[in-house]
Amino acid sequence: MSIEERLSQAEKLLAPWNKETLHPESNRVDVVISGEDLRLAVAALQDAHWGYLSAITGMDLGVESGQLEALYHFCNGPAVTSLRVRLPRSNDISIASISDLIPPAALFERELHEMLGITITGAALSDRLFLPDDWPDDVYPMRANFTTDQAAPVQGRHADEAPEQGVVGGNTFVIPIGPQHPALKEPGHFEFTVDGEIVTAARMRLGYAHRGIEKAAESRNWYQNLYLFERVCGICSHTHSMAYCLGVEKLAQVEAPPRAQAIRELVAGLERVHSHLLWLGVAAHEAGFDTLFMYSWRDRETVMNLLEQVTGNRVNYSANLLGGVKCDITLEQAHAIKEGLNYLETRIRHYLEVVTTDAMFLSRTRNIGTITKEEAERFGLLGPTARASGLVRDVRVEAVYGSYKNFPVSAVTETNGDLEARCVVRLKELLVSCFAMRTILDNLPEGPLTARMPRKIPAGEAVARIEAPRGELFYFVKSNGGETPARVHVRTPSLCNWVSVLEKAVGRQLADVPMLLAGMDPCFSCNDRLVTVANNDQHETWSWSRLREYGIEYYKNR
Amino acid sequence: MNTLTSLFTMLFFPAGISLILVGMFYEWIDRKLVARFQNRIGPRWFQPLADAVKLFAKEQIKPGIVNPFLFFGLPVTALAGALTAALYVPIMGLNPASSFDGDLIVTIYLLSLPTMCVGLAGWNTSGRFSLIGATRSLTQLFAYEAPFLLAMLGPALAAGSWQISTITEYTEGHWLILTQPIGFLVALIGLMGKLELPPFDAPEAETEIVAGALTEYSGRGLAMFKIGKYVELIIGLSLISAFYLDGVNGILEFLLKTLALLFIMSMLQVTLTRLRIDQTVGLWWRFGAILVLIQLLVMILLKGWAA
Repeated sequence: MSIEERLSQAEKLLAPWNKETLHPESNRVDVVISGEDLRLAVAALQDAHWGYLSAITGMDLGVESGQLEALYHFCNGPAVTSLRVRLPRSNDISIASISDLIPPAALFERELHEMLGITITGAALSDRLFLPDDWPDDVYPMRANFTTDQAAPVQGRHADEAPEQGVVGGNTFVIPIGPQHPALKEPGHFEFTVDGEIVTAARMRLGYAHRGIEKAAESRNWYQNLYLFERVCGICSHTHSMAYCLGVEKLAQVEAPPRAQAIRELVAGLERVHSHLLWLGVAAHEAGFDTLFMYSWRDRETVMNLLEQVTGNRVNYSANLLGGVKCDITLEQAHAIKEGLNYLETRIRHYLEVVTTDAMFLSRTRNIGTITKEEAERFGLLGPTARASGLVRDVRVEAVYGSYKNFPVSAVTETNGDLEARCVVRLKELLVSCFAMRTILDNLPEGPLTARMPRKIPAGEAVARIEAPRGELFYFVKSNGGETPARVHVRTPSLCNWVSVLEKAVGRQLADVPMLLAGMDPCFSCNDRLVTVANNDQHETWSWSRLREYGIEYYKNR
Repeated sequence: MNTLTSLFTMLFFPAGISLILVGMFYEWIDRKLVARFQNRIGPRWFQPLADAVKLFAKEQIKPGIVNPFLFFGLPVTALAGALTAALYVPIMGLNPASSFDGDLIVTIYLLSLPTMCVGLAGWNTSGRFSLIGATRSLTQLFAYEAPFLLAMLGPALAAGSWQISTITEYTEGHWLILTQPIGFLVALIGLMGKLELPPFDAPEAETEIVAGALTEYSGRGLAMFKIGKYVELIIGLSLISAFYLDGVNGILEFLLKTLALLFIMSMLQVTLTRLRIDQTVGLWWRFGAILVLIQLLVMILLKGWAA
């Protein structure tokens, strides 16, 4: 089905509730509906199997306009339909929850509530998920009139004073994992209620790495934001800046030159290798197979060195510019990358053999945490986690972007949906990536590296979807025609995959839980983006400028 | 004079201080080997000693709700149990310091004492990680203890005695590893279970329960539990090489045979993935115990037939 057919089908489905149709981009149809009709409209799309809910974006259209807007983005291949619900700008507004229809929506709705103060009636989650415990009630950071002095912490209400939920009764008690725990490489908090060794309930709390990036983006110009969004995640930093660039380039109607796009794909491929090898090590460590952990991280150094050779950095590569890339690939570099890929490919083949034949490792992965294709669809899984269950969710294939039309990749799927399949999908995917990278190096288009970008970006909205190593990364960029963006919304793949972990942990052994957590390759920093930085010693909230001054002072005094 | 010699034996050589130092040396070899197998550099030779010195110098933090008598007493008991067991075992190729009929059984139970102390310690500190760790430690104890005992029974049956010195007299000149291979394997893997080495490290699986039963321990208490483990390692290796590898006569033979065993143990540690506690129990009872029982049965039948 072509994009037009998909879009007209969506329009037809939504016709009964349609108040206004908008065409913000060539692959998008937005339908304005009223809040009461939301559930009916969502159910109509779902019954017709029209795509999946990718993100919910909340926007404050400004004090003058007096309106808030919630956008429910549904993606179907390259086509995107957004249901737009407009609400008055007050504190007692509500939207009906759709989390019973679409489970992952629970997390999106929670974000909508905490950031914009839209009450969700019938919400699945009621505890704070993103904002700190001592954040004052009725203060919503994404509202246009929010100022940092409103966010003074409520004294005497912080996380360490949360009610102790130790022994629940009898043999049942709560095992806390995190925020600091050897199983977690990043801060998150999970409470697993265990009866002996069996998990009977699971709960989670995010937000420990919230840095207020979405809010901060609104006060920075388009170029400064490039560096900001690169720092959303320390593992898939390139895909974040790439998604942001794609969004802004769409708004400015500038296309990066072919050579730049190819280099973007190349760096993204190297990043995928680094990310998946890192994941393999973490997964092996969670299973107690430290040898695989040490070896895969040793081999990961190869790709880290390649990235350093190409971009000059090991973590935040800073390869992207608005309208192009910063670094070129010389012949020597191309040669070095090919040699590195040769080594990596042999190693990846070896690991593929290990994870599919090592009997002891298999006893910890085979048929554990199995997610069927139907469940994967219901949970709204993304990326390798979904592909391991046989669900093709790969933006590089479904909604081709950038140079993926010239250097295509195929989606790797497995059918079992257990932890073993997730290992296999990720490793096979690397082989596909290596092949694509080799093709790029052999056929690197000639030409300039950058296209000219205007300083002010024309008003409009753009949706940029990119396949990050963990799944579909969703950026919503809105410009009012100024030097700074009006709204940038980031929905990272990890956020969509949480629900499945919590559901699958129940009934399993405690020993499998770290593996299940690692199985979807969670990335906490990605989840957490918004909120001013609080210094816990003195319990005061620091503004960005204060933090910047502090940083400059700190390094001066060193 | 006899009292003085006994005191010297217990405190300095071959038991006591020198045993602890040898234990630390073996622990270093184990860590170094594992590190090299995993493509790491590994610690320097004095690292276990440095760890112990540092821990002894540190404050021991006592959780508010524990029974102080148990909290401070358990590490001492664990270490004492391991050190006492050393008296009956031919350590470093020397004759046991003390010997009586049935000392094999006493030794095996003294060797279980540290694990039971760890279990009690976890229960006493009643942290959530400690509780789960303690449960797993004790569950694992019930899994490997019986097969390990049966594996030690094999040589005893062959020698027709419960006394370690009599058994070693018999095993010198008999490579029991050839006639009782299953017993040897079960004993070696049982020792790994006893020491909670990978793949039997579920009781202290850091990615689930931090440090297991010993999560709340610090300073001296932790050091004593650790040293108890080192001593157990030496005693276990000595017992196995004395029983199954043609006995140990002299320090060189002791070093050769125990280090060879340690090498095998390090290899197993790096190549195997941690077992879940249910898998551990399943492995021991479904395979270990049954195989060793079959071997014992065959031995008894053969002995009866020969007689």
